[in-house]
Amino acid sequence: MRFQDAARDARTVVYAGIQADPLVARVAGLLVAATPAERWMARAVMNGERTEPEIWRRIFPSLFGEGPAAAAAEFLGHAEKLLAASLEVANRGEQARSSYRGAIVEELTAQLLARRSGTVKRERRVLFDGVPAEIHPYDVTVESAAKPEVYDCKWGARGINADVLNQLDDARTHAADEEIELDVAIVVFDARRSADIRLDRSTARRDGTRLVALETFDELAKARP
Amino acid sequence: MTERAEAAARAALAYRALADLAETVEDEWQYVTDLTDAYLPSIEALAGAAAPLPAGAMDAVDEAIDEIALITDPHKAIDWLSTFPHVVAIALGGDVDEGPETAPTERADDAEPEPPEPDDDPPFKLLRFHR
Repeated sequence: MRFQDAARDARTVVYAGIQADPLVARVAGLLVAATPAERWMARAVMNGERTEPEIWRRIFPSLFGEGPAAAAAEFLGHAEKLLAASLEVANRGEQARSSYRGAIVEELTAQLLARRSGTVKRERRVLFDGVPAEIHPYDVTVESAAKPEVYDCKWGARGINADVLNQLDDARTHAADEEIELDVAIVVFDARRSADIRLDRSTARRDGTRLVALETFDELAKARP
Repeated sequence: MTERAEAAARAALAYRALADLAETVEDEWQYVTDLTDAYLPSIEALAGAAAPLPAGAMDAVDEAIDEIALITDPHKAIDWLSTFPHVVAIALGGDVDEGPETAPTERADDAEPEPPEPDDDPPFKLLRFHR
């Protein structure tokens, strides 16, 4: 088994430009340190119709000065920064927004994984001896010789589909054929409950695939057993 | 009816309208139905929480309702079917990640398990590697 950079086509070149936008890293960095409520706020704002900050402050009063969580200036300042950055994404327009959101989930995943591993890479394929290569690269990989990991990242649970689940499970199985324990996971910036609902209707094999959801993102930074 | 119950009832009504819009995406009808079946009772159950209503909660719920009322794209409505219940739960100080508590006579583990439904898969064609 070996990792390889994905071939670059026109779509990936455009998307690479979005991934490299400093706004993506800034939003992801703020989400790394965010509380679950702040992450929900960011998701709502980046999905939202309205872009006036005062409206979002009213929707999340506990984050912006009216509840106990906002009592500390530290929390208030962080929520304001995250709101402002999320609105910058929302203001990029409907077309760009969905690409930005995807790139943010990938960057958030990469930043959290980097807290425990120095071998985090992006847009990589995994090749196995005698097995045709998958077309789609993995969004984030941890290329440890002892415990490699691959991650597919989604903004919403709706992005979970049979193709993604099958690719992850196939990779895990092929790695096992080479006596390598490949950890495969799907990451969704959405409620675990919604992801479970999505998965419940899928017949794709997924018993060896981990699910990381909005409430459990911090697990990515913790060492794997 | 308490303020909390009124807010939860208004949120539930808005959620039903959002689900009506979302289910016009035919390939996602099952997912929309499953989300609605899961979250609608959880939103309604927020009415019964014993904790005092947090400051700004009523305005927060009304603003969130106004926000989803602006949605005209059914695909965006699907995104909000997962988001809106959590926004309302944060505002009202509750949880929508578990189903509402069942009465002692209706314990979930006493119920006959339903047979799994077949997965006829059409949503996956449209959603290939959707970000």
